[in-house]
Amino acid sequence: MANDPLDFPDFDQLRERWQRFRRTTGGGAGPTPTPPGTPQPPWAGSRRLAPILLLLLAGWLAFASFYTVQPEERAIVLRLGRYRGAENDAGPGLHFKLPLLDRVFKVPVERQLKQEYGFRTQTQAGPSSFRTVEEEATMLTGDENVAIVEWVVQYRIADPYRYLFRVRNVEQAFRDLSEAVMRQVVGDRTVNEVVTIGRVEIERDTELLLQELCDQYETGIKVEEVLLQSNNPPEPVKPSFNDVNQAEQDRNKLINEAQAAYNRVIPRADGEARQAIEQAEGYALDRVNRAQGDATRFDALFTEYRKAPEITRKRLYLESMARLLPAVGRKVVVGEDVEGMIPMLSMETSPRAGAAAATQPGGGS
Amino acid sequence: MTRAVVSVVAVAALLLLSSSMFLVREDQQVILTQFGQPVGGPITEPGLAFKLPLVQRAHFFDKRFLEWQGDAEELTTKDKKYIFVHAYARWRISDPLLFFQRLTNEQNAQTRLDDILDGETRNSIARHNLLEVVRSSNRAPSADESNPEEQFVPIEAGRDKIRREILEATASSARGLGVEILDVQFRRINYSDPATQNAVFERMISERRRIADRFRSEGQGEAARIQGERERELARIQSEAYRTTQEIRGRADAEATQIYAESYGGSADARSLYEFLKTMETFEATFDPDTTLLLSTKGDLFRFLESSSP
Repeated sequence: MANDPLDFPDFDQLRERWQRFRRTTGGGAGPTPTPPGTPQPPWAGSRRLAPILLLLLAGWLAFASFYTVQPEERAIVLRLGRYRGAENDAGPGLHFKLPLLDRVFKVPVERQLKQEYGFRTQTQAGPSSFRTVEEEATMLTGDENVAIVEWVVQYRIADPYRYLFRVRNVEQAFRDLSEAVMRQVVGDRTVNEVVTIGRVEIERDTELLLQELCDQYETGIKVEEVLLQSNNPPEPVKPSFNDVNQAEQDRNKLINEAQAAYNRVIPRADGEARQAIEQAEGYALDRVNRAQGDATRFDALFTEYRKAPEITRKRLYLESMARLLPAVGRKVVVGEDVEGMIPMLSMETSPRAGAAAATQPGGGS
Repeated sequence: MTRAVVSVVAVAALLLLSSSMFLVREDQQVILTQFGQPVGGPITEPGLAFKLPLVQRAHFFDKRFLEWQGDAEELTTKDKKYIFVHAYARWRISDPLLFFQRLTNEQNAQTRLDDILDGETRNSIARHNLLEVVRSSNRAPSADESNPEEQFVPIEAGRDKIRREILEATASSARGLGVEILDVQFRRINYSDPATQNAVFERMISERRRIADRFRSEGQGEAARIQGERERELARIQSEAYRTTQEIRGRADAEATQIYAESYGGSADARSLYEFLKTMETFEATFDPDTTLLLSTKGDLFRFLESSSP
C-alpha cells in the first residue's frame, strides 16, 4: 500500500493525532488556573490568543479551499468520498474546493508515460546506458526455443477515475499484464520470427491484446505504442545466429561473383559476335560489288570485242607485252633451233648476278 | 464552573458525533460489527455513513481489483520439462461479509489464494505438455528464406484454455471465501533446469548451423549454375556468330560466282576472251625484274620482225 496514490490520513488517524497532541500539552479544554506567583507565558490569556487563532484559521481556510491543476493534469474530486461524475473533474488552472469535504487527486492524463521491460535505462549523468534484466527479458518461443526480448510500452491515463479507483496498484498490474501478453505473443512465434522477421507483427499484436486486457481490468490506461527494442537469441546461441547472417551474405557474395563473371564475359561475346557478323556482311558486299564491277567491265569490253575480235585481241596482247616486258629483268630471244639450251638457263641460281655473263655467250653465239 | 461543564459536554458530544460518522470512499466497502458480530449488509455506496458510536466498529475493505502474485515455482510439465512459472491473478472482494467472516483481512486472503491458485497451477501444468502452456494458437509461423519449411507442432489446449481451466477450478473455492478471481495469467515461464536449458541452446545452435549450411550450399549451387549458364551462353553466341558469318560469306561467294559465270561464260567467245584477258593479267602480275623471259622468235611478238626482214 506504500505507493498507493490514495493514501492519505483518514479520520481515525486524525483523531489519534489530536489525542496525542492533547496528551503532550497536558490538554484540558478550558483555561487551567495558574498558581499565583508563577511567571505567565507570553501567549496566556484568551483575549490575546483569539485573534491569532482566527487569523491562522482564515489562512488555513484560504489555503485549503483552492488548488491548482497543472497543464498536463486532470483533477478528480471526491466529495465526502463519493465521485460525482466526470463533469465535476477539473482541468488545468486554479479551482475551488470545500475544505475537509472535498479531496482532490491529480492525474497526469496528458503526459505520455513509459514502462521498460527486460532492461532499465540508467539515468545518471552522461549518455544513458542500459542494463538488461535477464529474468524479465528471457522468454520461451513457440518452437521451444529461448529468446531475449526487450521492449517499451508507451501509454497514457485515459480514464483517471478508473485508473484511481478500479485497480489497486495499477502500475504493477499494468506491468504484469504487459509481461504476460508479450510472452503470450512471443510464445506463438518461432525464434526466427521473434529475432528477425516478425517484429512489427509482435508489436501490433501485443498492443491490441494489451489494450483489450487493460479495458477488461478497467485500468483506464490507453496503450499508445509497444516498441520492441532488441530481440536477441540467448548469449550462447548468438554466434550461430550471426553465422546464419554471415552465411546468407556468403551466399549472396558467391552469387554476385558468379553473376559478375557472367557479366564480364557474355555482353562482350555478344558484341564480338555482332562484329564478326558485320565483318562478314562487309566481305559479302565487297565480294558481290567486285564481281558485279568485274562483270560489267568485262561485258562492256566483250561488246566492243565482238565487233572486231581479231584485231582487239592482238592489240590487247601487244599492249600487255609493252607494259610487262620493260619490267622483266632478263630477256632471252631464242631462235627456232636453239631450244636445247632452255634446261641450262633454268639451272642458274642467281639470274641477276650472272646476267651479263650469261647473255654474252647466249647472245653472241 | 458552568463553563467547565459546558465545555466537557461539548467535547464529549463532538467525540460521539465523530465516532458515529465515517466516510466511505469510492474504492472502499465497509462491514459494521457490533461487539464483534456483523450487523446489517455491507456498505458499498461511497459517501457519508453512520454507525452507533462506541458499540459499532467499521471494517474497511478494498473494492478494487487486487493482485495476487505467485512465487516462482518450479513445476514439471506432462512431457517432463522443468520450468519456472510465475503466475499472477486479479481478484476482488465480491462478498465483503463472507470475506470478513472467513478471512477477516487481506493477509489471510493472500495466504488462502496461494494455496488455491498455486495448487491448481501445479495441477494444470502437470496435465499439459510445455508447448500447450507456451503457445496459445495453432497459427502458422510466417517463414522467411532462412527457414522456408518451418512448422509448429500442433497444440490441443493452449495457454488461454489452461488459464481458463485454472480459473474455473478455483472459482468455486474462491467464491466460498467471498472472493472473485477474475483472471489468471502466466507472467513468466522459463526453463528452470540448466541441463534442459543447455540442451535447448545446443538444439538452437545446430538448427542455426543447418540453416547456415544451407545458405552456403545454396550460394555455391547458384554460383555453379550461373557459371554453367555463362559457358553455355558463350558457346552459343560464338557458334551462332560463326554460323551466321559463314552463311553470309557463302551467300556472297555464291552470288559473286553466279555473276562471274553469267558474264564470262555467256558464250564461247566470251569464255575465250576471258581466258585471254586473265592470262595477260596473270603475266603482268607475275613478271618482275627477277624474271628471265625466253622469247622464241616463233612467238607472236617476233612474227612481225621475221616477216619484215627477209
